[in-house]
Amino acid sequence: MSRKMILRVPKFQEPKRMEKSEAQRLWLLLKDAIVEVQHMNASTLSFEELYRSSYSLVIAKRGDILYTGLEEVNNHHTKNLLDKIAQAVDERFLIELNSQWQQYKLQQIMIHDILMYLDRMYVKEPQLKVFDLGMFKWKQNVLIHSQINDRLVRMLLGLIHMERNGEVIDGALMKSLIQMYVDVSLKEKETYKQEFEERFLLATSHFYKSESNLFITNNSCGAYLKKVEIRLIEEEARIKQYLDESTGPKLIKACEDELIANHMQTMIEMETGCRTMIQNDRFNELKLMYRLFQRVENGLVHLKNEFAGYVRNEGHKIVNQPENLKDPNALITSLIEIRNRFEKTLSQSFANNRDFINSVNTAFESFLNENDKLSESLALFIDKKLRGGFKDSNDQEIDVIMNKVILLFRFLSDKDVFKKFYEHYLAKRLLSGRSFSEDLERTMISKFKQECGNQFTSKMEGMFTDMRLSKDALDGFKNYLQTSVEMGKLPKIDMSVRVLTQGFWPTFPPHSCTLPPLLSQYCDLFTKYYCHAHTGRRIIWQTNIGTAEVTFRLPKKTHVLALSTYQMLIMLLFNDAEKLSLKQMAAGTSISFMDIQRSVKPLYSGKYKVLKRTPAVEKSKELSENDIFELNLNLKCKLHRIKFAATSQTDSEPERQHTRQRVDEDRKIEIDAAIVRIMKSRKALIHNDLIVECTKQLSSRFVPQTSMIKKRIENLIEREYLERFPDDRRRYRYLA
Amino acid sequence: NRENKYSDFEIIISQAQKTQKTNTEFKKTIFKCHRSILSIRSEYFQGLFRSGMKESQEGCVELHSISPEIMESILGFIYTGNIKITHDDALEILIAFRQLLILDENLFDFLINYIK
Repeated sequence: MSRKMILRVPKFQEPKRMEKSEAQRLWLLLKDAIVEVQHMNASTLSFEELYRSSYSLVIAKRGDILYTGLEEVNNHHTKNLLDKIAQAVDERFLIELNSQWQQYKLQQIMIHDILMYLDRMYVKEPQLKVFDLGMFKWKQNVLIHSQINDRLVRMLLGLIHMERNGEVIDGALMKSLIQMYVDVSLKEKETYKQEFEERFLLATSHFYKSESNLFITNNSCGAYLKKVEIRLIEEEARIKQYLDESTGPKLIKACEDELIANHMQTMIEMETGCRTMIQNDRFNELKLMYRLFQRVENGLVHLKNEFAGYVRNEGHKIVNQPENLKDPNALITSLIEIRNRFEKTLSQSFANNRDFINSVNTAFESFLNENDKLSESLALFIDKKLRGGFKDSNDQEIDVIMNKVILLFRFLSDKDVFKKFYEHYLAKRLLSGRSFSEDLERTMISKFKQECGNQFTSKMEGMFTDMRLSKDALDGFKNYLQTSVEMGKLPKIDMSVRVLTQGFWPTFPPHSCTLPPLLSQYCDLFTKYYCHAHTGRRIIWQTNIGTAEVTFRLPKKTHVLALSTYQMLIMLLFNDAEKLSLKQMAAGTSISFMDIQRSVKPLYSGKYKVLKRTPAVEKSKELSENDIFELNLNLKCKLHRIKFAATSQTDSEPERQHTRQRVDEDRKIEIDAAIVRIMKSRKALIHNDLIVECTKQLSSRFVPQTSMIKKRIENLIEREYLERFPDDRRRYRYLA
Repeated sequence: NRENKYSDFEIIISQAQKTQKTNTEFKKTIFKCHRSILSIRSEYFQGLFRSGMKESQEGCVELHSISPEIMESILGFIYTGNIKITHDDALEILIAFRQLLILDENLFDFLINYIK
């Protein structure tokens, strides 16, 4: 049983009989008291007496007399008040209205207290509670009366307008009067919303529409942003000071619409706008813009797109700058620089927003893969660093650079191309002994490993193992030589050999050459020794990437020349001849003419010239077969040891193409493997699905061309791994 | 055992007593109590104190329709939350509770069932 029911069934209270005249007497008593209260003379009244009167009336089932009487008294009173208030002029109006309202509210509480028993036990829906009845009468006869309502709202809005223009107004008075609209609302603040809030929001939109249009045309974007921020703070304060809190979100939305949303495009495009800010790294202004745009729907999308567009554009410029295309080092350095710059913008202005970071990354991905130079440039950049470019950097700086390299690497779509180039240059560094530090090499490789897994770096690690094992093998060989019988017959030379496991190392394009007899003998000895120690292995000599030191005896002085193997072979020819043409050199060494050209060039055109061209031709750089060289016996050099660059650091075009070709070969194998893997698990698949699946599987290493996949499918059909369905040529079946 | 020392309000119960002559005399019982506690339990007292009317200013109220015994029980309930009810006074207590607007749902349920 609910309480209400119990209270409404006064079974146990037999109402005392009450004469009508007695009821009338009690009501008049109460009425007089209410009028006294309305004149603020309550202190002499007896609460107990008044309460008991209303109690008795209700008990005697005479509540109706009381309730309708109260309604009339309130009606009468509020009508009187209306006249009084409406007469007040100008500012007095608000003050009079407010003070009457404050009194009226207090009176209504008191009346409610006296009639509490009526309120509790008699009033039932849809009748208004005693206090609400009071509020309703005020609303009906005062607040929404034509003499009051419009005048009041206009004055309130006028004051708010003044305040927005910087004048000081009476906040407490505002709060009280605006709260009145809330107080007289019976449910869900409907009077407040209808009579005040709606018009207030409209006025707000108007105000900010004209203000923002004017301000943004006469000021910079930065100044406008600051203005907006201040305005929003002011409006937040206004809500707290005198508006109902339910208005807060609506007010702020209205302001944001007018101040931000309507001007977003302008703020991005105007001369002092977003673009300029990004260009000039105006982090604080961008941060403010980010904060403000964040508040409106799709605001950040605009900002993000603008930023990403700028990033893509800048990157595009760098990647296509002619100087950068020639100089991989400059290219990568500039890329790292802009990456740093944009990361700074992201962290300082855009709160490292995930979406922003992603879109910047997408931009990087797109311009980094615009041309296929980047894989090689990046590998060359690291090559230069690892050849000694890190010499002047401390560990921390090195780590930062390496991480940037990894970052750029991550954006490459053809990671396999990069890998080939990296292996190629690593091999060259190791074999020419130009690597600056093995520790750094290993650090770099471990970073790739973290990024791409074991498979990616297994060959690189294999190269390091080979280097170590070669050293052991060489030590063994030296011991072997000392005990060898044949040793006594041979003049002593210091030979160093590196044994490279095929597969780990990039295959260098095969070049042949004829070694002088002494060297061949040593080579044979080594082969004999090595194959004896490791049965079942075969040694193939790669002479083109070796180095040699030879003694160069001049009449007055002796020098040691550090040369490539080919250069050594050429120089050795001069033991038996005074003058040689290039053609003769090629014939004497069996080296290809192109390699002869490349080997001879540093010998006669470098800082120290051990060969001279006869007759001396200064300008013409192109060498022809018939150009003749002789030893430069007048060489002047203070150094004892003279080092000659074996080959230029960047590879020649054929070598580069060779590397690319090998990438293509590897890709064929990878694609084959992927197709077979997919078909093995799916058994049958439609052509397009197979292409999609295959591209997906390989995407971490490279982006395969569809035409290439098609060719591989054809090839696999030929090799009877797959077959087409006879009735549907677009479907393939796996043949186990 | 209410502590009278800090009492700030008195409830006076006047009871008409018939003497041997035909006149009636009023016997007054005074309960000393505390505004803050009465306000919490009884809406009647809450209104009375809030109104600022005569009783609130004078610090006492005179009640007529409630007997001293019932008042004692009710104050016991107001102060301690416990009340003893017998067959004889259950109805009277219920009426007094309602008059003073001490609105305790559990107690009402109990009283109604008890009286039934």
